[in-house]
Amino acid sequence: MIANKATTKRGKPQTKHSFYPAWCKRCGNCVAFCPVGILISDEWGYPRQVDKERCTGCGLCEMLCPDFAITVGYEKPGAVDLAHPAAAKDSPEVKQEKSDAAKAASNISPERLAPVPREEK
Amino acid sequence: MTAVHRSVVYDWLRHDKKFPHVWCPGCGLGILLGSLVRSLAQGGYDKNQVVLVSGIGCSGRLPVYVDVGSVHTTHGRALTFATGIKLAKPELKVIVVMGDGDATAIGGNHLIHAARRNLDLTAIIVNNLTYGMTGGQYSPTTPLGAKATTAPYGHSEPSFDISALTVTAGASFVARSTVYHVTQLDQMLSQAIAKKGFGVVEVLSPCHTNYGRQNRLGSQVEMMKSYKKQAVRMDRWDKLGSAEREGRFAIGVLADHERPTFWETYQGSVDRAQAIRKEG
Repeated sequence: MIANKATTKRGKPQTKHSFYPAWCKRCGNCVAFCPVGILISDEWGYPRQVDKERCTGCGLCEMLCPDFAITVGYEKPGAVDLAHPAAAKDSPEVKQEKSDAAKAASNISPERLAPVPREEK
Repeated sequence: MTAVHRSVVYDWLRHDKKFPHVWCPGCGLGILLGSLVRSLAQGGYDKNQVVLVSGIGCSGRLPVYVDVGSVHTTHGRALTFATGIKLAKPELKVIVVMGDGDATAIGGNHLIHAARRNLDLTAIIVNNLTYGMTGGQYSPTTPLGAKATTAPYGHSEPSFDISALTVTAGASFVARSTVYHVTQLDQMLSQAIAKKGFGVVEVLSPCHTNYGRQNRLGSQVEMMKSYKKQAVRMDRWDKLGSAEREGRFAIGVLADHERPTFWETYQGSVDRAQAIRKEG
């Protein structure tokens, strides 16, 4: 029996997810089979951990990942933390902010839309 | 039994091989690969003690990714190569990974005779109910009425039950599990590898790309959820009536008994021959 709680440290499960985006094929197994439903897909299909406190550290997402792209409770070099801002740089919130900023930048004022009067010679 | 940590998987993978692997997104073979590595680490085997033999098919790619001695053999003949390796070097732990077409169609003869001979091998048969790599043709395990590329109006032949076949043929250890029941799969593989004699583990794995698409079973997530609904534990399976067994299958250890292995009986005949020679 593989002890799922082997990752405990002083009785508290280590629930830090690490993530290999380069190995992930976005199949969605981890998101579909998380027992507490704390993994969601971002708009590209990559998983993201939304509620770190509720993670029980069972490791099912890691064992059901066919691509070894997710680890729970330990880190591999080169892995990017799911909760890290670098991994979440294109999360819906960030994307909304970016699109708002782009919209604001491209907002054309009514004055500029008005036809420019031709100068009389 | 001491538990191994899940991180042992990364110690056994060949990182110089091209990861991500060649299988489709969500394929159960990746889950089986992790489970097999955890079982080998659980058994305390050294990498130099283990040989992985595979045939042709999607499952034939599996030993490529594990950092042990591996042989990628011809179609259906994985068990014969494994028999040769085991008899030449009996101290090795030989594990054969086959698909359902590889094991029961092309190599069906070798499967039943390896089970009858009861050599100390472990056969992992990945059953996805179709020929996945070649485009979804029907295989001997395709259920009656299921659609396939070569059976567009439904398959007209009944299917093999791999576990029942190998139990009847005389395998020492036969178990069935699915890639959804991954912790049980770890235990079944550990027991089969530790068992002296021919051990068979039938692993049901979704092929959503070919079988699931043609039979409208959805993605691999839906197929794995259907495994959860259909699978029945062995102790409950015995109490079910024949009507309730319709569309379901038993998981767990189906047969576990002690039989003399081929190596023991062969040594017995060698001893008898030497005794006769000394007398003469």
